[in-house]
Order: sequence, then structure tokens, then C-alpha cells
Amino acid sequence: MSISVDEIKWLAKLSKLDFDDERAAAFSGDFDEIVEFADRINSQIAGDTTKIREVGGSEIAFADLRKDEVKESLPVEKVTSNVVSEGGYFTVRRVVK
Amino acid sequence: MKYELVSGLETHVELATATKIFCSCTTAFGGAPNTHCCPVCTGQPGALPVLNKRVVEFAIRAGLALHCKINTVTHLDRKNYCYPDLPKAYQISQFDKPLCEHGYVELESGKKIGITRIHIEEDAGKLVHDRGFTFVDYNRGGVPLIEIVSEPDISSPEEAREYVEKLQLIMRYLAVSDCKMQEGSMRCDVNISLRPEGADYLGARTEIKNMNSMSFIEKAMEYEYSRQAEILSSGGKVEQATMRYDEHTGETYVMRTKEDAQDYRYFPEPDLPTIIIPEEEVQKAQASLPELPLEKLKRYRDMLQLSDHTARQLYKYKAVCDFFESCINSGASARNSANLITGAIYSRFATEEQKEKFSLPFDAAQFAELVKLLDSGKINPTLAQMTLSKMLTNGGKVSDYISTEDVKGVDEGELEKLCREAIAANPQAVADFKAGKEKAISALYGYIKRATQGKADIRAADAIIKRLL
Repeated sequence: MSISVDEIKWLAKLSKLDFDDERAAAFSGDFDEIVEFADRINSQIAGDTTKIREVGGSEIAFADLRKDEVKESLPVEKVTSNVVSEGGYFTVRRVVK
Repeated sequence: MKYELVSGLETHVELATATKIFCSCTTAFGGAPNTHCCPVCTGQPGALPVLNKRVVEFAIRAGLALHCKINTVTHLDRKNYCYPDLPKAYQISQFDKPLCEHGYVELESGKKIGITRIHIEEDAGKLVHDRGFTFVDYNRGGVPLIEIVSEPDISSPEEAREYVEKLQLIMRYLAVSDCKMQEGSMRCDVNISLRPEGADYLGARTEIKNMNSMSFIEKAMEYEYSRQAEILSSGGKVEQATMRYDEHTGETYVMRTKEDAQDYRYFPEPDLPTIIIPEEEVQKAQASLPELPLEKLKRYRDMLQLSDHTARQLYKYKAVCDFFESCINSGASARNSANLITGAIYSRFATEEQKEKFSLPFDAAQFAELVKLLDSGKINPTLAQMTLSKMLTNGGKVSDYISTEDVKGVDEGELEKLCREAIAANPQAVADFKAGKEKAISALYGYIKRATQGKADIRAADAIIKRLL
């Protein structure tokens, strides 16, 4: 299966990335390899994606889910220590006009 | 051409758990920005989500109350989208295996609005747009939600309103959410399409996002119906779009069209295991469901013999029902209890929210004591009203306001004497009554009430007066 330049551009848009034609073409080749690898994995699990979970073997019984008990949150200084912040808020470029 | 409206609702309900869905941070409303946060709910690399058991319990309760089938093997999925309200750039939700499916909500008319599915997911953070920036607060990020998706069975704005009101009341009865639309703990996306009356296909639909008031839902639907009808009548095509409702102009506007539709690229959430729910847990939840609103309304009318109007005034508020039932369980009559609650007590509450909270300066036991005095005829309705009014203002016990003397009322000999006095003092009223004006007798009641400061039993006085006349 090959991934077209248009599909790469669509994925780039969803990922908020800006690709020119040259870059998109290069990615198209890389993606082919990635998808081929994914196909190989799929062929091992006979196309049943639910088996992906079984591969990890992860199931949890209802009784073992987390109890609804509050624990202390982090201090706001720590939460915002690696980001641009103002007044305790994470601050990003305005996302609406 | 006449068009019929076809609508389905997606309703988000915040669950009243103590902690978030995937971490142990508090879900308390408000708080200084980003003070209810940890590595999990801010999406730090390597932090792993751990599912809150109560979220699953609450969702199962909601599902059972809405007559859904519970999927006892279920899992969570990633819904990818890139927006600052989601720190991970994906929301953990459910896609192909929701916890609950195939239920319904029954309207008063008997019509059933199908529930396609109910799934659990995490809420997003709150954005504040100011100057050239967007400020992000993740306190709400990770608060548990259920999304209740209806079938396109709704045919009018009135039905939509009734459906949302019913959902809200059921969730409150179950105590799984406070469903405060004004605080955002219940919000709806409304899907609307039109088709020629009698047609069996679905037209192109628009979706109005994030409605947080019943009346806005109705108004937005009315507006959208007119807008789409106008397009179709003039031979145009309705464009599939996501819209917003502007409450100031009363109009809907396009947020994004089909071309900009989101591609969420759902896939199974690898950080969370498949959940296995034993059948016994579902049965236990079914057995623990409380009496639901429609059953309660029916019981109030049929078993307690309350009028439809009174029963409806009570059943709309869960806290009122609890108070009322505690009162009648103490032996007070349903009728007098209901009348005093919907009369004197409701008159003190200006807003719906106050009735929902139903906070009183006395408990149900004290109120029941007052009602029982009234039931037994030891005090009359006037004295009961006067006492209740004082209790509402100052709190305290019935005995603070009604003495043993009051309870004794006026003995029969004394009452007859007063009736004779009332007749003598009101010759005109007596003459009018004898001439057939039944209402004239109220002048005599007034005389007796004044003379006894409301302590006399007017029903007993009425019998004596009629005998004397």
C-alpha cells in the first residue's frame, strides 16, 4: 500500500504541521515503510485488531479499578514550571479569532 | 411544502465523583487555575491513566435507568485532536465498545426516544481567550463525563426540552450528577435535519454545539428549523455543518463545514486494560436503582392521592421528595404535607435552584410534628400556616410557637358561645346567608378567628353556626 502526497498533506494538517511538496513527497516514501511494517504486524494477528489487546494480555477486573479517593494535586508552580504561564494559566497563542 | 424536524441529541453529563476519571485529583468545581492537576491530567510524558471505579459504577447506573444493555467487556479508545484544551492532543473516550447501548427515555406522551449509546470519557480543560493569548486551566481536564447519544427520534423543540428535562431528573435521582446546565455539568449538542412530511429518509443535518440551557435548545432548534426550511423551500441544499448558537442574536452560525470535519483517528487506548465487569455487578446495580421520576409521579398521584399539579410540583426536585417522604413516613398526611410544602414553603424560594437545594431552618421531623397537629384537628390550617411561617423565618421547633393551650384549641361550649356572639354581631350577614348567599357566612368565621386569634376550629364552628341558624 502506498501513501499519496495528498494523504501526507492531510495528516500534516491534522497534526498542525506545515509541509511543502518536496517534504511531503519524502514523507510519502517513509510512510510506505511504516505502513508496510504495520501490515506485517497485522498479518501476524490475522487482521483481528481486538487481538492487539490480547498481545499485551491486559485485562482488569471491575473490582480492581481505582478507588475514588482524592489525593493531593501538584502545586501550581510545579504544574506550570516548564511552560509559559501567567496567573497560574498555561499561556498559548490565541486559538480563536 | 411542509417539512418535519428530525433531531437527535448528544448530552454530556459530568459525573459527581470525588476524583477525576484517570487520576486522584479532585473534581471540585472552580478553584484557582491549574491547582487540581497532576502529571496524568496535564498529559506529562510517561504518566499513566488509572480508571476510577466509581465512574464505571455511575455510568452503569445511568445506563440501567435508561433501559440500556450493559457491555460487560469494554475498553477505552483514543480520540485524536489537536487543541490546547487537551494537553495530550487526544481525549480518552470510547468508540466501538461503549459501556451502555440500546436504551430509551419515555416521554409523557408514551413516545420513546431511543438511546443509541452511553460512553465514558474525560472532560477537556477550560480556555479563556484574552488579548493575543489563550489561557488554559486544566482543573476541569479529566473530570469524568458520560455522553448520552440519542437516536434521531425527536420531532420538535418541545420534545427535545422534555427529553433533556427527563434525563436531568433521572441523573439527579440516581445521584450520579448535579446536572447544572448553568455550571456546565450538563450540556447538549443538537443534531437537526428536515425532510418533507411523511418522507422516510434523513436530510443533511447540522449540529449545534454546546448548548447549556433548556430555553436556548428550544430557541436554537426553532431558528435552525426555519433556516433549513427556507433553504429547502427555495430549492437549495442544506450544507452539513457544525454550528454555534448566539444567544444574543438568537441565530445559529457556522463553525465549520463538512470539508473541515474532524478526523479523530480513533484507536484502542494502549495505556488502559480491557475492563471485565461481572454480571453480578450489573444485577447489584439494577437492584440498587432508586424509584425513578415517572414511577414516583405515578405513585404520588395514584397511591398518595395527590392532584397531578401538586405531584408534579414535588417530583421535580429530588431534595423536596426526600423531605416530603421522610415527613409522611413519620405519620404526617401526604395531602397536608404536600400543600404546606408547595404553598407556604415554596413561596419562600424565588429560584428553581433554591427548590433543588431545599435548605430549611428545621428538619422533616419538626415539620411532620406540625402537620400531624393539623391532621388531628388539634390546630387549624390558619394556625398551622402562621406557625410554619415563623419556623421558616426563625427556625426552631413547633413547641417554640405552639403552646399546650393552643393545641387544646377552643372547647365546644366556648365555641358555641362564640358562634352565638358572631350571629348577634353580624345581622346583615346572617340575613344574606338565610336568603341564599352562602358566602355571607365567612363574616362569621372572621369574627370567630379574630376572637380566638386563629385557635378555633373553623370546620367545627361552621357546623355549630349552621345548626343555630
